[in-house]
Amino acid sequence: MEAEDLGLPPKGGMDLPEDGVDPPEQKISPGCTETGEDELIVALDKQVELSAAQNNGPLSVADGKVDVQEELSEAREESSEKDLSDSASTDNTLEDSCEFSRPLVMGGGPSEEEEVAAQPRPATHRDEDVTAESWRAHRKHVFVLSEAGKPIYSRYGNEEALSSTMGVMMALVSFIQSGDNSIRSIYSDDRKLVFVQQGPLVLVSVSSTLQSEQQLRQELLYVYDQIISMLTQASITRIFERKKNYDLRRLLTGSEKILDRLLNLVESDPCFLLGAVRCLPLQPPLRDSLGSLLQKAITPNLVFSILVARSQLVTTVQEKTVIDDCRLEPTDLHLLLNLIGATSAFQTGEIWTPICLPRFNPDCYFYAYISYLDADCTVCLILLSTDKESFYSVSDCKKRIEEGMRTQNYLQALSSGLKSPSYSVGMVGAPDLRHFIYKPLDIPDNYRQLPQFTSPELEGPYCSESERHRLFDLYHYLHSRIHSTLRPLRLIYHVAEKETLLAWVTSKFELYTCFSPLVTKAGAINILTKLLRWIKKEEDRLFIRYPPKYSTTPNPGKGSKGVRTDGAENGFFGGL
Amino acid sequence: MKPDGKVVLLGDVNVGKTSLLHRYMERRFQGTVSTVGGAFFLKQWGPHHISLWDTAGREQFHGLGSMYCRGAAAVILTYDVTNFQSVVELEDRFLALTDTANRDCIFAVVGNKVDLTDACACVPEAEDGHLSEKPISSSVPTKVKKQVRMDDAIAFYKKILKYKMMDEKDAPAAEKMCFETSAKSGYMVDQLFETVFDMVVPTILEQKAEGSSQTVDLHNYKTAKNTQPGCCR
Ligand SMILES: Nc1nc2c(ncn2[C@@H]2O[C@H](COP(=O)(O)OP(=O)(O)OP(=O)(O)O)[C@@H](O)[C@H]2O)c(=O)[nH]1
Ligand SMILES: [Mg+2]
Repeated sequence: MEAEDLGLPPKGGMDLPEDGVDPPEQKISPGCTETGEDELIVALDKQVELSAAQNNGPLSVADGKVDVQEELSEAREESSEKDLSDSASTDNTLEDSCEFSRPLVMGGGPSEEEEVAAQPRPATHRDEDVTAESWRAHRKHVFVLSEAGKPIYSRYGNEEALSSTMGVMMALVSFIQSGDNSIRSIYSDDRKLVFVQQGPLVLVSVSSTLQSEQQLRQELLYVYDQIISMLTQASITRIFERKKNYDLRRLLTGSEKILDRLLNLVESDPCFLLGAVRCLPLQPPLRDSLGSLLQKAITPNLVFSILVARSQLVTTVQEKTVIDDCRLEPTDLHLLLNLIGATSAFQTGEIWTPICLPRFNPDCYFYAYISYLDADCTVCLILLSTDKESFYSVSDCKKRIEEGMRTQNYLQALSSGLKSPSYSVGMVGAPDLRHFIYKPLDIPDNYRQLPQFTSPELEGPYCSESERHRLFDLYHYLHSRIHSTLRPLRLIYHVAEKETLLAWVTSKFELYTCFSPLVTKAGAINILTKLLRWIKKEEDRLFIRYPPKYSTTPNPGKGSKGVRTDGAENGFFGGL
Repeated sequence: MKPDGKVVLLGDVNVGKTSLLHRYMERRFQGTVSTVGGAFFLKQWGPHHISLWDTAGREQFHGLGSMYCRGAAAVILTYDVTNFQSVVELEDRFLALTDTANRDCIFAVVGNKVDLTDACACVPEAEDGHLSEKPISSSVPTKVKKQVRMDDAIAFYKKILKYKMMDEKDAPAAEKMCFETSAKSGYMVDQLFETVFDMVVPTILEQKAEGSSQTVDLHNYKTAKNTQPGCCR
């Protein structure tokens, strides 16, 4: 595979648009900041000539002098960027850029506090004193309330104790609403408040993280979807139509832990940020065999069979009438896996539960069969049926799958792949590369493929919770710059205090990389080339290239939309 | 292999159904998470395979209850002795779910979390003996007052029989079918499940016997069964 294939400029020849070095900056920045991809490539090409000189220039000096110089140039980069891009938006003034480099550097601060607070938390954080300073100090609060201002969920502290706080939030929402408008966010010195209204529910995030408003909004939508996954949108709407001040906690008691877990995950698992599924790296023949095993073990009304190992997708098959006009959305899978993860305390049984896949259809239930296939509870089989009464026949499918896996020794093969947790970044063979997140975008459209990503295990400096938080804060920041609605970027080279990061999106992939702080730009580019080659070589193992599908006996009356049982008919909330 | 008999655990959120089952099956007490839907377990009991359904107490899953109960040979109605409302819920919300159970379904009424209660606040007599035997963990300094007494459970059991239109004389005695347990300490947990399983076995045998004669007599038998006066459905 050639470097060009990946859109990489010749070795060592690429320079980066946010370069803080003086001469090119003036030339390049306008080009890269205001342009789309094509122009950027032109900009990059132009850069090629300039970069040769640069490589011996200030940057190599900066190398020797460690961070200081780079940080300086970084600060300048940032401010120049802001100048150009965000001058229109009031919340993004130059002050921001100083502030910006600060919290990034100090990112460990709040996280560490969090960790300390986390120790006594598990049993008690619901009983936290909401008037205490420690309660205020949480990195991110999330509240869910009903339109009538009734508290439904609070990440920390008891919702009841927060009812007046939530009342104020609702007052804000209604006040703006009365002016035929809707409140989206409030910015204070150190907090962002983001509001999302979905049907009769209002969700509020109060965050001191570096996440963008858009990312926080996305997280709130995940929370909303997780609630929907348990209740369906149709029934929530119905409930509140009948009784405006219904106390939804009646239906959600016990689900707080699911939402708690979700909120912890969205901050630490890139799958939510990227809207993509993480696959278990596996030799294609093994994955294919497992897929065909799932394909054989089917029963009427079974529509999705999903095999996961440690929350990583092994393989999934879909009933064909479903896949034809629909696909399993990553979000739905993430929410499902979160629910399973949060309820897996007792793993020897077979679970049968109604579950809604909100992105697939927010108003209807599937019936999920969930069972672990190994004693360690790492390999989990999920079978989704549309028939409430099909537990025993679906359970029978599991027995056939289990049997097949035993006779072929697949389980052993799988668990050997599971022993080493995922894979190490060391496999790339680039010592300065600490971590990366790669999401391929060049997936054949006709396969309606699940968006996927791959990422090595977090190692080295990122073993502690606070360091992980810090890294993900950085990733979140880069992601927000790349996906900024105001001014999306294609490429960011970012020098942080303890590492250097590079984010790059092309038509073929979206990539976030983290390097040791001593890396040079030229070095980083070399590593990128190496990494992209490595991924290309490994892609059959890292990703599911062609997800299998099957067709049950043709049933003409059974369009995929019709397959789904209607939430209103399946007996839920009959009494409400 | 088809399970032979079905036992269902019903009761409000947080009363400790999952913990009881966990204690019995895995011999442990550990943190649980509120159950979603229902969880199915298979228990070998002598030559029989008894299926156990641990259901979710959340109102959200209420609609599923009657499905889990369909054809049940025994239902274990669980409450929390420190929470009177949990018995009220059994009567208001869960009893009706058992309509789909077998006609001759066995009922057990179980008050869980006795380890939390103040021993002195307990009913005297019979209970005293048990409770003093049990190592009440001294690590829990705050004993709460027992809100549901054995008498209440027995009264509730009788209500069930009435609801099921069963004659008290035909049904197992209330004293035998009302339990107070602690999933935490393990107190009375084995006794509970073993008593229930033992009582389910005759039904299983009966079913098996019926099963073998079903080819001949299926139709007659079924209609006969449905017209039994004792059947309230
Ligand atoms: N002290 C004490 N706590 C218990 C006992 N049994 C359960 N618990 C606790 O009560 C809580 C609820 O227990 P679960 O077993 O999950 O309750 P459940 O009835 O299965 O609840 P749902 O699945 O939501 O219907 C947990 O925190 C348990 O640790 C007990 O015997 N003693
Ligand atoms: Mg439970």
